[in-house]
Amino acid sequence: MELLEVKNLRKSFGDLQVLKDISMNVGEGQVVSILGPSGSGKSTLLRCISMLETADGGSIVYCGKTGFTEKDGTAVYADKAELKEIKSYFSLVFQNFNLFPHYSVIKNITDAPIHVMKRSKDEVMKEAEVLLKKMGLADKGNYYPYQLSGGQQQRVAIARALAMKPKMLFFDEPTSALDPELTAEILKVLKELAAEKMTMLIVTHEIDFARSVSDHVVFMDGGVIVEQGKPQDVIDNPSNDRTRAFLKKLEQ
Amino acid sequence: MKNIFMRIAAAGLAAAAALTMLTACTAGSEEEERTTFSVGFDAEFPPYGYQDENGEYVGFDLSLAEEVCKRRGWELKKQPIDWNSKDMELKTGAIDCIWNGFTINGRENDYTWSTPYVDNSQVAIVRKDSGITELSDLSGKTVAVQTDSSALAAFEGDDATDENRALAESFKELQQVGDYNSAFLNLQSGAVDAVCMDIGVANYEIAARGDEFIMLDERISSEEYGVGFLRGNTELRDEVQETLIEMLDDGTFASIAEEWGLSDSVCLSADDTVTDTAKKEDVSFGKKLANISGRLVKGVGASLAIFLLTLIFSLPLGLLVAFGRMSKFKPLSALVKLYISIVRGTPLMLQLLVVFFGPNFLFGINTSASYRFYAVIIGFTLNYAAYFAEIYRSGIQAVPKGQYEACQILGYSKSQQFFRIVFPQMIKNIIPAIANEVITLVKDTSLAFAISYTEMFTLAKQVAASEATIMPLFIAGVFYYVFNFIVAFIMERIEKKLSYFR
Ligand SMILES: Nc1ncnc2c1ncn2[C@@H]1O[C@H](COP(=O)(O)OP(=O)(O)OP(=O)(O)O)[C@@H](O)[C@H]1O
Ligand SMILES: [Mg+2]
Repeated sequence: MELLEVKNLRKSFGDLQVLKDISMNVGEGQVVSILGPSGSGKSTLLRCISMLETADGGSIVYCGKTGFTEKDGTAVYADKAELKEIKSYFSLVFQNFNLFPHYSVIKNITDAPIHVMKRSKDEVMKEAEVLLKKMGLADKGNYYPYQLSGGQQQRVAIARALAMKPKMLFFDEPTSALDPELTAEILKVLKELAAEKMTMLIVTHEIDFARSVSDHVVFMDGGVIVEQGKPQDVIDNPSNDRTRAFLKKLEQ
Repeated sequence: MKNIFMRIAAAGLAAAAALTMLTACTAGSEEEERTTFSVGFDAEFPPYGYQDENGEYVGFDLSLAEEVCKRRGWELKKQPIDWNSKDMELKTGAIDCIWNGFTINGRENDYTWSTPYVDNSQVAIVRKDSGITELSDLSGKTVAVQTDSSALAAFEGDDATDENRALAESFKELQQVGDYNSAFLNLQSGAVDAVCMDIGVANYEIAARGDEFIMLDERISSEEYGVGFLRGNTELRDEVQETLIEMLDDGTFASIAEEWGLSDSVCLSADDTVTDTAKKEDVSFGKKLANISGRLVKGVGASLAIFLLTLIFSLPLGLLVAFGRMSKFKPLSALVKLYISIVRGTPLMLQLLVVFFGPNFLFGINTSASYRFYAVIIGFTLNYAAYFAEIYRSGIQAVPKGQYEACQILGYSKSQQFFRIVFPQMIKNIIPAIANEVITLVKDTSLAFAISYTEMFTLAKQVAASEATIMPLFIAGVFYYVFNFIVAFIMERIEKKLSYFR
């Protein structure tokens, strides 16, 4: 079953068309990686999917519910209640974490489940403890974000996203702000999540990671999907010159 | 750290004191060959001394002084002074005399006087339509007098008659105002029911302001004007006195009096002889300090009230203003922007005057006496809300965009986003700027004097005037310093409390 169906997505900033006719799917339990050079529109794609940006045209269906479709050349979004429902299906992990600096680790994780989802505090706290343990941060619950390393902060951010119990998780370069050792920490967490069949859409520059974890790889350049398919095909046997050039550059 | 500040403050005070002494000495030693004669006067006291439409200082007293100088070969310096500081001016030698419709009665021992040259009486002016016809009608009414004026002395001074004391007791309030112009604005607006003043001034004001006002026939007191010199300066007094009599003899005095329409009140006579009853009585320093402090306490409460009420109203109002300023609804944000720019671009003192007198001038509303306090609070609140709004706005804009996006992804509502995430970070961002404003507010409370609201500083000036000492001003200074010290301490604590996150 497809949890995410993107069709003919378009997005411009002023005169600059950043996304031109993007179509792609993410199936339940799948890990999909998006690769591509800087400025190719990866973040913009993820932000349109996460509804941080408003699309110009095309359509996206989330778990069978239509977020927006194109009518008369513009994107028409679902009504407020439906959008609220749709937004609960996914969560996004940012490149620079965006933790709440004035909340402790545990409060960062539990605040939204308690005050947005209106779940019972005891239950949420118990789950948060479990999540922290899973992230290897069992003793850091009362720390404030500034007291943590980048890798630890990103793990808190992932725990915060998971606490909302989304059906799928989006990541925009979750390791780009981190040193190599810290990057390994996060990739390990992502691999564990993949093993648990968490549905994930990940923008990344980590080719080895993408190859070993992804079910599906999307290569973008200049606002279009140049090629997509199994990692063995796209990464190891690219059919497109631009993909080849990009991969070659990464290897150097 | 704090110790250093204290030491610097102490050094500053000492330097100021030394400077004062130095100027006093220089002034004292130039007595030998007099070339100039500087006359201190209240520039808002027509027809005795005031600024005419050309910006020149003129008046009956200044004309007399001019003639005296001409005959003596002195250069006349017309020195407008703040009436509250007249004794300080005289003591430091900044002025040689006070010549300004200056009442002798009640002050016989405080100055060395010329013989009286004007006989004046204290009278009451009321609105024509007020129905007040005699002094006893003023019972239960609000009556205004100028600070440290003869009218005030007639009601409350040491030599006030029992009759006048009882009359003053029967008033709802005896209000002190800084100048006659605001007294008449108050009278016109209904904030006061009567203004008491010298008859010469009263005649002039009624002639100048039209027939809206009338003078009661009954007199509060009779009194005489003289030229006041520093106590003991008989040498200069005798010189001036001699020339005045000379002018009386050759008719110049009478013609100047006529020129100023004061022929009816002048009383200079060659037969009067000058007397000096002035003698010093010493009160112990401690007693004086206790007395002055006691009189200032009332003002402390008033200043605190302005301070606290302004904060209570302007801090939340500022947040609303900041929202208006950041509103996507253009007309609203433009309007708020205009309000902020007007408030920040004009003096607070002016804003207070507008808030207090505006309702009467613009809409003809008669303002009650209690409106004075409300006007202070409204003026301060409107002013500070604008400043706080800009601080809030900068604090909100300093919160990174990523925080808003995280909120959006986590599903926070707009109000949750603001109160749970943005607001606490904003507060941390703005505490230093807010602390600055709050400390400024402590000092700004003294501006309430602009509409004659008697807070700490106004009271200190009044006490300084009546006691002829600068001590109340020092005490006031200490009060503001300690007040600000406490404020700074509290703000520091808040800042520390918020240092748990970065
Ligand atoms: N809010 C915006 N306004 C205007 N232009 C934008 C905006 N966001 C992105 N762009 C432009 O859109 C293009 C694609 O940006 P995007 O951030 O999606 O690229 P990216 O593939 O994520 O690159 P990177 O690998 O460097 O993160 C760039 O040319 C960028 O300058
Ligand atoms: Mg990007």
